[in-house]
Parts: sequence; structure tokens; C-alpha cells
Amino acid sequence: MLQIRDASVTFPASDGSAVHALDHVSLDIAPDSIVVAVGASGCGKSTLLNAIAGFLPLTEGSIMLDGEEIDRPGGDRGVVFQKDTLLPWASVVDNVALGLKFAGVAKTARRERARELLDLVGLADFADKPPYELSGGMRQRVGLARALATDPKILLMDEPFGALDSLTRETMQQLLASIWARTGKQILFITHSIEEALTLGTTVVVMSPRPGRIVARFEAGFVREFAETGDIGPILSDPNFIQLREEIRALIHRPAGKGTLQ
Amino acid sequence: MTLAADPRAVFTHVQPAPKLRRQLTNEPIKSVSSGTLLISTITLLALLALWFVATQLGWASPLFLPSPAEVLTQFHAVAIDGYADGTLIQHTLASLGRILVALAIGVVLGVPLGLLMGLNRWIRGTLSVPIGLYWGLPPLAYLPLLIIWLGIGESSKIVLLSLSTFAPICFSAQAGVRSVPAERINAALSLGATRLRLFTNIILPSALPEILTGLRIAVAAGLSCLVAAELIAARSGLGYMIMSAANFLSTDVVFVGLILIAILAFLFAIGMRWLERKLVPWKGKI
Ligand SMILES: Nc1ncnc2c1ncn2[C@@H]1O[C@H](COP(=O)(O)OP(=O)(O)OP(=O)(O)O)[C@@H](O)[C@H]1O
Ligand SMILES: [Mg+2]
Repeated sequence: MLQIRDASVTFPASDGSAVHALDHVSLDIAPDSIVVAVGASGCGKSTLLNAIAGFLPLTEGSIMLDGEEIDRPGGDRGVVFQKDTLLPWASVVDNVALGLKFAGVAKTARRERARELLDLVGLADFADKPPYELSGGMRQRVGLARALATDPKILLMDEPFGALDSLTRETMQQLLASIWARTGKQILFITHSIEEALTLGTTVVVMSPRPGRIVARFEAGFVREFAETGDIGPILSDPNFIQLREEIRALIHRPAGKGTLQ
Repeated sequence: MTLAADPRAVFTHVQPAPKLRRQLTNEPIKSVSSGTLLISTITLLALLALWFVATQLGWASPLFLPSPAEVLTQFHAVAIDGYADGTLIQHTLASLGRILVALAIGVVLGVPLGLLMGLNRWIRGTLSVPIGLYWGLPPLAYLPLLIIWLGIGESSKIVLLSLSTFAPICFSAQAGVRSVPAERINAALSLGATRLRLFTNIILPSALPEILTGLRIAVAAGLSCLVAAELIAARSGLGYMIMSAANFLSTDVVFVGLILIAILAFLFAIGMRWLERKLVPWKGKI
């Protein structure tokens, strides 16, 4: 269980003023849920994720994971970045095994586990290749496998599929949904795409910029159906889906400075 | 000749041109480097031919420009009988020994200090001042000072050369550490890396390409310092041989020395390329 309480992050801007990237945000991420944060560029989504990952200190408030305060990066929170951060000098399997290496797992054992995970993301045949011989989508799958290898309590994903073409993106969404259905891992997922948010989230939170706040929260169940059927078509044409999508779109495109919802 | 005999023959007329085919299959395109190799070889031969013609037609007096044949004869003579208190091999080994020792000192001191400077603000702030100060000076300007301090023996030359190889290696190691992408470090930390693991598994390999670039610069700086120092103060080495020959206007021996230094520089360049291929084959990827 991840609990975010009144979290604020303020950056000093170059002109001396303060940027309220996050303003008193509270959010719970329960086990077995996928929380997707969606919002316009600059509304503090990455700031929120980086604070949970421990890359960024909070100015105010607290973040607790299973009752423990977060103040630095750690292996209990797996991160998948938008840009892949694989090590070019290590083979794909050793990249996936990196976290296990840090945890002191012996070489053969960690490679065996890494191969299982590569199998899970459908890249078993690429285990011994260097990462730069893989396509962007494949690298993102390796990044996902690497984050899963140490079995973290929560998975943090900052626009992981943002740079992918729409076909690859859909495959990756299917993969994530099926992995979630199998492992029940709690996930925080960040995206620009409202459709992606609704397809993947059990909970969708909408954020607004300046100051960065959560302005609305929706419960959605489409990901269960998606994980089962692997077919996005019927979901996209579901009247409930369309209604939610339009509601969220209206929220995001509402002109700034007109007050908040709720 | 029947087409059916060799099934591949049927398709020969639709196969793409060799150049195109090489791009279609994934084999590396070598034509770029071998293409320049051919051009460079031709240029080199043309220069040699020009040299030959110039001396043959007497464009310049042999005192200024000895003929290739004379240089070759001298080469042989210096190699066997020696010149300026040593054979060619001895002079070459003396020079080579100096630069290798200086490179070793530069690496042993420069890499760890550079890494520390990259990691720690205080060390960087403190050390960058003296290193920056002396690195800005032309080495030959402070060679006299080194000779006053250390005498005219080997030590003043080794110190001079080590100073010239140390700075580029140190600065590049520092730059290598500073250029590690923040996301790569964050990724490692969220995979549970300790500080030591972060350094050995992430920062050091990330900095390696930069360190090798620094080594390349160090080789060039060391070579130019080496010969200059030997011209001024030495009892052996290719620079010393060249200077002695020049004093007696033995231009042909000067040429022998120059050619050997050129060969030495060329071999170092090949060695560096080999080292990069061995250590950082992934350089520039991702
Ligand atoms: N290091 C920083 N220094 C100053 N301001 C920052 C810094 N990082 C982010 N900001 C500001 O904080 C706000 C939120 O940034 P953040 O990166 O969290 O947005 P985002 O929602 O992730 O945007 P995007 O969708 O474009 O990635 C922005 O206004 C940004 O300008
Ligand atoms: Mg962002």
C-alpha cells in the first residue's frame, strides 16, 4: 500500500519565483491496482513519480510505502523510464539481472531468473544480444523485465510507451495488462493519452497544472476485460468508456485558472 | 550453360547491385574505411614519388633534401653501426620507454584522481586549479625549471612527459564521470545499487569511452613533448639523434629519425583503435 499525504514539491524558477509542481497531493495506491495519472504537459506527473521513486525530495508532506517513509531510491520500487536506460556494455539478460546482481544473487541463479522474465515479455531469443541491437519497443520490454526481476512492491512507469508507434504501443499495453493480471502488482502509470489511461487504469486520476493538483478521480474496470481478451476494440467502443473519455477530455482541456472540480 | 543447373543463377539478374545488397543485409559497410585507406595509400606513394623526382632532377641540394636512396642507405648504416652513441634500435627504445613510462604514470595517477574529481565537488574545486594552471603552459616553457630541480638525467624528462599525459587523462576521467546520464544513475539506484556498486557497475564503465579519448590525447601530447625534450636535453632517443645529426648537417639521418617518429605515432594510433574496439565496442551506441 502506497500512501501519499499532502505531498508538495516546489522548484525555484530561473526568474526567482517558485514553481508549484505538486501542490498538496494525496493519493493511495492499493495492492492489486493500477493507478494511472493523466494530464496536460507540465502538470507535475513526472514530479509525482520521481518523488515516489525517491529521486526528488518533497518540500512538504509524506509518502509511505507499507508504513515506511520514502526518502531515497530503493529496490522496493521498480521504475520503467520513458527513455530506456539499459547498459550498452551488458547483454540483454545481464541487464535484466542487474537488480538481482545488486541484491547479491549468484550469477547462474540471477541469469536463470532473468531468462524467465525475458520469456514473460517475449524476448527469450534476444537474451544474449547487446541492447542496442534491439528495437525501441523491445528495449522497453527489457526495461519492464528488469524492473520486475527484483519483485518490487510497486512498479512506477513514466510514459513508458510514449515514444512507441501505435501498433507496438498496443502490444505493450496488452503485455502490461496480462502481467498485472498474473502478478497483481500495484502500478503507478503516467501517460498523456486518455485512452491509454482508461484502458490500463483501475483508477484514473486527472491532474491539472500550475499548481500541480489532482482534480478528479475515476474508477474504471476496463483493464480486467482487456487482460482477459487482449482485444482493445470492444473496449474503445464501449459507451461507458466513451463517456468517461469525454469527461476526462473536458477536464483536461478546461481553460486554466477556472477553479477546481469537486 | 543451363540456368537450371544452378538455381541461384536464375536470380542473378534480379539481384541488387553489390553496394545496395550490402546495405540490405546487415553486415557492416566496410567500404568507407577501406575506401579512404586506398586513397591514403595512393597519396603516400605520390608523395614518395614526388620526393624521388625532386631529388632526381636536382630541385634541391642534397644538403636540404637527401634522396630516398641516401636515406635508405643511412637507415641501414644507423641501424647497424649506430649514430650519436647508439644504434637506431637503442634510440627508438629509449624514446619508446620514456613515453610508455609517462603514459603509465599518467594513467595510474590521472584516472583515479580524475574519477575522484568527477565524484566530489571539493576535490574537483581544489585540484582543477593547479592542473589547469600548468596544463595551460607550453611544456617546453617549464622544462628548464624541471632541469634545474631534477637535473638533466632521465627524471626531468619523465616528469615533463608525465605532466603532459596526466592532465588530459585526468580531465577526461572527470568529464566521463560527469557525463553519466542522471537517468542511468537513478535507474541503478532504484534497482537497489549501493554507492560502491553504483561506482563499479555504472559510473566506471560509463566513463571508460571518455577515458580512452583522454588517453588518445595524452599519446599525442606525450609524443610531441618527448621529441622536443630530447632535442633540448638528452643523451639518447630519436629527438637527440635528430639534433646531433642536424648539428653536423646530416640531413639524411634527420630524415631517418623523422620517419621513425612518424611510424611510432602511427603504431600508437593503431594501438589506440585496437584498445577502443576491445574495451568499448559499444561506444556511441544508445
Ligand atoms: N528541475 C526543475 N526545476 C524547475 N522546474 C521544474 C523542474 N522539474 C520540473 N519543473 C516544473 O514543474 C512542473 C511539472 O513538471 P513535470 O515534469 O512533473 O511535468 P509532467 O506532467 O511530467 O509533464 P510532461 O507530461 O511534459 O512530462 C513544470 O511546470 C516544470 O516546468
Ligand atoms: Mg513527465
